[in-house]
Order: sequence, then C-alpha cells, then structure tokens
Amino acid sequence: MLNYILRRIVIAFFMLIGIGIVSFIVIKLPPGDYASRYEGYLLARGMSQEDADRAANLLRQQYDLDKPVPTQFVLWVKGMVTEGKFGYSFAYGKDVGVLIAERLPMTLLIALLCHAISTIVGVGLGIYVAPRKYGFMDNLWAILAFIFTSVPRFSLAIIILFVLVFTFNQPSLLSFFSPEYVFAPWSFAKVVDLFKHIWPVLVIAGLGGVARNLRVMRGNLLDVLGAQYVQTARAKGLTESKVILKHAVPNALHTIVAYQGTVLPYMMQGELEAAIILGLPTLGPLFYESLVNQDIYISGSLLLIYGVLILAGNLLADLSLAVLDPRIRYS
Amino acid sequence: MTAESAEILTGQPIAGVAQPIVLDEAHESYFQLVWRRFRRSRVSIIGGLMVLILVILAIFADFFSPTDISQIDLKSSFIPPQQVHFIDHEGNFHLRPFVYNYVYELDPKTFRAIWAEDTSKIYEIHFFVQGPEYKLLGLFPSRLHLYGVEEGGTVYLLGTDKLGRDLWGKACEAGRISLSMSLFGTIISILFGSILGIASGYYGGWIDNVLQRFTEFVAAFPNLPLWMALAALVPKTADSFTVFVGMACIFALLTWTTLAREVRGKVLSLRETDFIMAAKEMGASDARIIFRHLFPNTLSHVIVILTLTIPGVILAESFLSFLGIGITEPLISWGLMMRNTQDIQALGQNAWILTPIAFIVVAVLGFNFLGDGLRDAADPYAAK
Repeated sequence: MLNYILRRIVIAFFMLIGIGIVSFIVIKLPPGDYASRYEGYLLARGMSQEDADRAANLLRQQYDLDKPVPTQFVLWVKGMVTEGKFGYSFAYGKDVGVLIAERLPMTLLIALLCHAISTIVGVGLGIYVAPRKYGFMDNLWAILAFIFTSVPRFSLAIIILFVLVFTFNQPSLLSFFSPEYVFAPWSFAKVVDLFKHIWPVLVIAGLGGVARNLRVMRGNLLDVLGAQYVQTARAKGLTESKVILKHAVPNALHTIVAYQGTVLPYMMQGELEAAIILGLPTLGPLFYESLVNQDIYISGSLLLIYGVLILAGNLLADLSLAVLDPRIRYS
Repeated sequence: MTAESAEILTGQPIAGVAQPIVLDEAHESYFQLVWRRFRRSRVSIIGGLMVLILVILAIFADFFSPTDISQIDLKSSFIPPQQVHFIDHEGNFHLRPFVYNYVYELDPKTFRAIWAEDTSKIYEIHFFVQGPEYKLLGLFPSRLHLYGVEEGGTVYLLGTDKLGRDLWGKACEAGRISLSMSLFGTIISILFGSILGIASGYYGGWIDNVLQRFTEFVAAFPNLPLWMALAALVPKTADSFTVFVGMACIFALLTWTTLAREVRGKVLSLRETDFIMAAKEMGASDARIIFRHLFPNTLSHVIVILTLTIPGVILAESFLSFLGIGITEPLISWGLMMRNTQDIQALGQNAWILTPIAFIVVAVLGFNFLGDGLRDAADPYAAK
C-alpha cells in the first residue's frame, strides 16, 4: 500500500512538471517576448521611448528574459518554488505571486464549499431516488439532472444577476462582503454576509455537481441493492431503511470517493465561469482579464495553479480511496 | 469421421443424409437491432428530434427567417418580441393571426423612448410568402419564406437586437456555426482518439504504456482554463475560416481522451476474440485487421461518445464566444449572440436578448438525450 501511495505521488510529480511545461509554453507562445509587450504597454501610456526601453530591459534582467528558453523555464520554476515569484503583471504592477496569494484562499474556499454541498446533496438525493427506481421522483430527478448539466453556467449567472439587480435591487454583488463588514473581524453576521454574496456562485457551480453525484450514487446504489447480501439482510427482517442506510450505502460510497477527482475540475470550472460573470474577486476574473490584456504571466501561472489544484484533488481522491476500500489491489 | 462433420468441413451436402430445412427467416441486421432498441426509449427519440429540428433550422435559416438574415437596420434596434394576435384592439376576432407594428414613442412621464404597438393597422401573417431574396444552401436563389407580413409591416417574433436584426432568424443562422463547429471539432477529436485508442489496445507493450500515460496527462489538464488560454492566442485579425478551424482544433485537443480510453478497452477485449485470431492466422496485415475488423466493431461506441462530446463543446464554445475570445464577427454563434447581454443596462431594458440561451439548452439537452439512448442501444445483443 505504501508502495502504491508512493507511486501515485511520483506520477503526480511528473504530471506536475508536464503541466508546468504546458503553462510555460502558453506564456511563451505569443509572438515577441514579454518585455517588448510591456514596452508597448508603457508607450501606449505615453512614456518616452528611452524610458520604456530602460524599463523593459530592467524587466528582462529581473525575470531572466534574456536567457535561453530552457534556462528561463528552470528559473521560472525556481523563482516560484523558492521565492514565490511567478512573473510580473504590468496591468497590476505587481508580481503575479502576490495577486494569487490575495485571491487563492477565497477561490479555494468557494470551490471546496461548493464541492462539499453538492456532494452531500447529490449523494443524499441519489440515496433517496435509487429505491424508487423508475418512480415519479426518480424520473423527475433524472430529467432535472439532465437540465442541470445542460444549462450553460454563464447564462445561469446572467439570469441570476439580472433577477438580483432588477427585481430585488441588490447591487452589492461584486465583492465578498458588504461595505460595513469588509474590515470587521470574523463573526457569525460576517459569515452570513459572505454567503449572501457567494450563493449564486455556489448554486451555479454546484448544480452540475449535484446532478453528477446523484447519477453516480443512484447507479451504484442500484447495483449494490441487487447484491445477495442485501437480500439476506432483508430476509433477516431488517427494516428497509436499515437495509439501505447500514448495508447498501456504505458499499456504494467508495465509487463516489473515486469520483470526486472527476467532479473537482467541474467545480473549479463552474466557479471560474460564474465568478467571471458575477465579478467576484477570485482567480477566475483575474484569469479572464489577463487573457484579454495579454498579461501572459498571470494566464500561465493561473493555468499552472488550476492544473495543480486538480492534480492535488485527483491524488487525494485516489489516496483516500486506497485507505477506505481494502478491496482495491495495488499491483 | 461422421457424415455431419464431413459436411461441416467441406460445405458439400453428403448423399444419404437428410438435409436440414433452412427457413427463410427474416434476418435483422445490427442497425435494425440498434434502431429497435433505440426506438423504445422515448427520451432519446425526443433528443433526436430536438437535434434534427435545430439542424434543419440552421441549414434553412434564410427560409425560416421572414427578413434577410444579414440585414442590419439600426432604426429597428431593440424591438420587443411582437405579439401574435387573434383579437384586435376593437375586440374583433380574426381567423388569421396578425401583428401590430411597433412605433417609437416618448414616454410622457420619463421622456424615455419606448416601443409601443401601433394599433391603427393590422398586418396579417401569411405562410410561404415571397420575401427578400437569398440563396438556398448557398446555391439556389429563392424568395420563399416560411412566414411573413405584407410590405411595410415587420414580424419579429423574438424581438430584435441592438443592430436591429431579427433574433429568431439570427439564432437559426447562429446554429450553423455552433453546431458545425462542435461537430467538426468532435470529429477531429474522434479521429485522433480512435487512432490512439486502437494503436494502444492493439499493439500493447511499451506503445500502450506510453500512450496511456500521455492520455492520462491530457485528461488531467483543466479543460476550460486551457481552452480559454489557447483561444485567446488565436489572433483577432485572422480571417473567419482560420478562426473556425483554429477553434475546432483547440476543442479537439482536449476532448479525445475519453474516447481513446473506451476504444482501447474495447480493442483489448476484441484482440483475443476468435475472428481477430483467425484474421491474423490467415496473414492479414495489421492495417487490414485494424481498418476492416477492429474499427468497424468499435464504431458504435465511437458514435455514442461523439454524441456525448458535442454538448460539452457547444457549452464551451458559447462561453468562449460570450467572453469575446471565441468566434468573432462576421461569424455568429449562440454564444456570440449572448455577448450583448454583458451590457447589464441593455439587458435590463431588453430582457428578450436572452433567448439564445434557449437554443443552447435545446441543443445540449438534445445531444445528451440522444447520446444516452444511443449508448443503451449500441450494444443490442446484451440482455436488458
């Protein structure tokens, strides 16, 4: 088992390097080097040619843009690991690492909240509909699950925004807290206020997750309910709820655990989509802005961050599955 | 050797042995079996119809739109959906549905310009009327439109956008890009995925190992962020065709992994079957085995995955176009039409510009339903 865990970690490490390389390629792909784009940006702002030249050269030196590309990659990775230096963003005038540090915690919080809620709700609904196979509620939830995964999330965000702004006149969406809570210490009221601001993102990113968890849980539970030991449990005269909750559900859950690695990217992408429309200060809008402004160090670094988060999620799912389910062979 | 086994070996009837009576049994082909099973699922039939309707609307968009779909008329900007009436404002019933024109009026209280119905003249809706000229399928000049009103009247059933274009006609036309691009991208990804999947499953060994690690790596990549990053790299100045092909390739780049895995699994199990063994023993080349025997047997799975991949691409395409980093004018897709809704002010006063959502939802639902039904039907020999 230890062997298996170590091997998974080693594979994840190589994946990480691969993701780093792809992110770096995205940084390098646009024509011209980053400093020349920075120079163009400064010139557009009305800076004189010499000053812009000097600033660009300074940037080149500072971020090693004058070195050969493989060296640049190694230095880029080294900068991230040792100093937290991801590259320079001219639109924000800061190192990208600082920007990420500002926004990452909230992004993670939202993604995890969303993940937790949609798992609990989805699994719960799955347990509810599975014994009612092809009944009214089962069919209803099957159709709803289809709809949840079919509505484009960005349009859902627009509709929610539209309703909030024009029907309920709730304008303060573009931040995590109402003005009076921004600097207040954490309290119950502040948490409530936070939820008031992030619930649309939770709903939009979560609906698809609910639908997927529901379908997976329903399928598994139905498989398990057909097993002979369940029949034995019924024959012993146990109540149906006990049969389902104590005997069937625990054996259907491990697939859900394995499935979490697949749902996580879906959540992250949902959060990305919703946050861009709703303008919440998470990583999503930052990523989009950087793509529009060609602020390429942000794009590349965030691509890397997204890749790492999903990789970590997959790894955690695999490892917890290995711990939870002794039947898995690790050859 | 008995007579029966001799007959089996030689294929020749042996004298003195009773010939088995061969009934002229109606034989059902694979596709008949698939169709029979598919037909039983009502949801997948509905899904298929939804897709079919959208495809027809897209191909014959000019016919279904009462106005010229490329027309821009700033004077009729943001007209609300025109209501179809049967009863006029005097209370008389008309058998033929009609619309009133919208005229610009100043709201006496707010002094804001608003569109109001002009009830002085009735415009009856006629079907199969002659209207603006267009080229059917881009080839045959025609003037026939599904519906329309007489000269001087307008009929915008879904309203108009900022540039005064009929949203209904525009949405039909947008389907051309949205559907063809996702189909095109998915087909590229299917080709790539099948080739890798078959190679991986058929050759096995280190090839399998390398390809599997590669597939895993691509599958682990976050789709949407990478799509966004790559789409943003497509130059804004590129011509329409380049943008179309470029976007399709970007979508293909990350969607082939599911298929490659499925095909590999299928090929792995097929590789050990008797008929592949027989083909090998007879000295068939690898290419012949792959293209004549393995590929046709994985085709049903490929089609299922194709159908189930398309909705994801439609959703991603619409999101990217909505953000302005996907399809750009003069091409038009549903996502690009939604771009107008980014202006929350315009959206607040003209909520009908949200209607392209309905087209996206119908397309995605349709393909999902269809794919779900096909997946059940693809393996008709399995006991249900």
